[in-house]
Amino acid sequence: MRTEAIDPPGVAWLRVSPKYVTVRVVGWALGNLVAVAALSLPLVLVLNGAWAWPPLWLAVAVPAAAFLLALWRLVLIPRQVRSIGYAEREDDLLIRRGIFFQRTLVVPYGRMQYVDIGAGPVERGLGLCTLKLHTASAGTSAEIPGLPAGEGARLREQLSARGEARLAGL
Amino acid sequence: MTGSGDGWQRVHPASPFVRGWVALAALFFFFGRDSFERLLQGAPVFDERLAGRAPWLLLGGGTVLLLTVLGFVLGWYFTRYQVADGYVRVNTGFLFKQQRQARLDRVQAIDVVQPLLARIFGLAELRFEVADAGQSAVHLAYLRADEARRLRATILASASGAAGVTATPGPGQQDQPGQPGEPGLPGQVRPAAVEAPEQTVLTVPPGRLAGSLVLSEQSVVIVLGAVASVVLSAVTENRSFYFYLIPAGLGLVAAYWNSFNKGYNFTAAISADGIRLHYGLLDTQAQTLPPGRIQALRVSQPPLWRIFGWYRMQVNVAGYGTAGNNGEGSSRTTLLPVGTLAEVLTMLSLVQPDPGTPDPLRIFTAGLNGLAPAAGGAKATDDGGFVTTPRRARLLAPLGWRRNGFAATDTALLIRSGRWWRQLVLVPHQRTQSMALQQGPVARRFRVADLVLHTTAGPVAPRLVQAGLDEGRALLDAQAARARTARKRQTSEHWLARTAPLEPAAQEPAPLEPAPQEGPQHG
Repeated sequence: MRTEAIDPPGVAWLRVSPKYVTVRVVGWALGNLVAVAALSLPLVLVLNGAWAWPPLWLAVAVPAAAFLLALWRLVLIPRQVRSIGYAEREDDLLIRRGIFFQRTLVVPYGRMQYVDIGAGPVERGLGLCTLKLHTASAGTSAEIPGLPAGEGARLREQLSARGEARLAGL
Repeated sequence: MTGSGDGWQRVHPASPFVRGWVALAALFFFFGRDSFERLLQGAPVFDERLAGRAPWLLLGGGTVLLLTVLGFVLGWYFTRYQVADGYVRVNTGFLFKQQRQARLDRVQAIDVVQPLLARIFGLAELRFEVADAGQSAVHLAYLRADEARRLRATILASASGAAGVTATPGPGQQDQPGQPGEPGLPGQVRPAAVEAPEQTVLTVPPGRLAGSLVLSEQSVVIVLGAVASVVLSAVTENRSFYFYLIPAGLGLVAAYWNSFNKGYNFTAAISADGIRLHYGLLDTQAQTLPPGRIQALRVSQPPLWRIFGWYRMQVNVAGYGTAGNNGEGSSRTTLLPVGTLAEVLTMLSLVQPDPGTPDPLRIFTAGLNGLAPAAGGAKATDDGGFVTTPRRARLLAPLGWRRNGFAATDTALLIRSGRWWRQLVLVPHQRTQSMALQQGPVARRFRVADLVLHTTAGPVAPRLVQAGLDEGRALLDAQAARARTARKRQTSEHWLARTAPLEPAAQEPAPLEPAPQEGPQHG
């Protein structure tokens, strides 16, 4: 399924590593399974007869809904990861992401204040890293997750070099 | 400079008391309240039970007082500043030492602030904002008022790149006193510290300020809240309801008073060093915004202000940060608390001396008040070249779709929005940080997208809502290109090295020239 993208036409996007799906799945599991387990607690107590108040249907429906929602999020993850892309143009860096809520970001090289590379434990295990760009604006939340470490280092050097050449004041 | 040989100086000796009076007052309040209450009740000033312990209490109070005073005095003693070699340096702290330095040519704004008590003592605080939100600002509290102004002039002179080449007052401006109460120029040993002469552009009369407060959004909310509470208390027959309105009313009076106090006697002036704003009833403040430091600007009009044709102007300046709930933040980012259309246009011409369009009046007026023609095809109505939300998306914004739009001049992007709460946002091209095009599922259905421009922290958040998809995409590309060329044209942070000094506002301001001499490119 290919919806009409909001990106500028004629841009060759570089995609992030498919291994980043694993990172997202681990994050998803930590968040959603704990939430579903917590929401299932009333169900267990009702079945034990310890609690009288929530009727059985409600005690079942809440965790079931949460579980379905979580499953749906899980199904979306591979497509979300595939939708992340970046492109180095001559004077700026483009970053896109999202399928339902799409966003295409343009960061001029001359506006970059500094470039960060970080890696969480799962990312590090898979040899991935996350690159973050900072401008003078807090609204620029420009980050490219799931880059292979080598590509991340290359991109950082590249961006720093280009930023230095074009650096402007505020 | 009258300090030691290397130029290190202390702030005024009275500053610890001006700074610490709140602490002292709190201390006295704390210890005095109890006795005072008992005095009112006719009881003896000291409780009998306490009488035996009075020496201990006095000792404790005295120790706390002494420690507080000592803390402030030590803080003063170890605070020293220096202005030299293109830097302001401030050393503070006696246990944990801190040295802070800021580059003069990175100055984003410079304020002289006089709280009431400081004003009584003839003191002033100098605030020097560099390009970072919040923490990195340099505050010098307190200096003698004339010393603060002289320091400001020195800083601005070296920041402008005009050190040595003093901005000489133009003919016919000699009779312009810079500011009431300013001493005549005792021009002895001050090579570059002559204050640039300023020319008053506009003042806001107090009557209009009061009127604007009465008609502000705040008042509408209050009236609605009052009606709601009266209705509620009538319905529930709960008389004690009124009782709760008293603290709310007090808070409101305080809020109104704060706005009035901050906006009173608002004066805008133009000088070679940029825009000067003076305001304040009890606490006075003088802000200087050097040219080209304004990152984004918003002109807005609450519905009730339309009766009188008033507008408000707010700006983003790096270093001022977001306007919090405290009155100070919001007053510092206010470029004009209330003004007429003519005054708004005057201020716009100061902020953006080169509007980048042959007919700025038409485009700005359309941005403030314009409305796209309702029916397609009837293009006869003049809309200043604003591109609005396409007709197909009118369901998304039934009222606003004819307002929401953008127009680009050669030097700035204008974004307007709001049918009732009218807004016009201006972002100079060379100030654009980054941009994002965003689209949700509903917007995709209507083939529209939002364009967000990122700027430094502040009250203005430029966002073009519901632009047609093709227009939005084209604008993203075009705007990136325009921002690029605009940045290339701006070569120096020293504004006097970049452009000719601004002539008084009445004349055609000097356009930003592509500065053939490559100034030092400051990273």
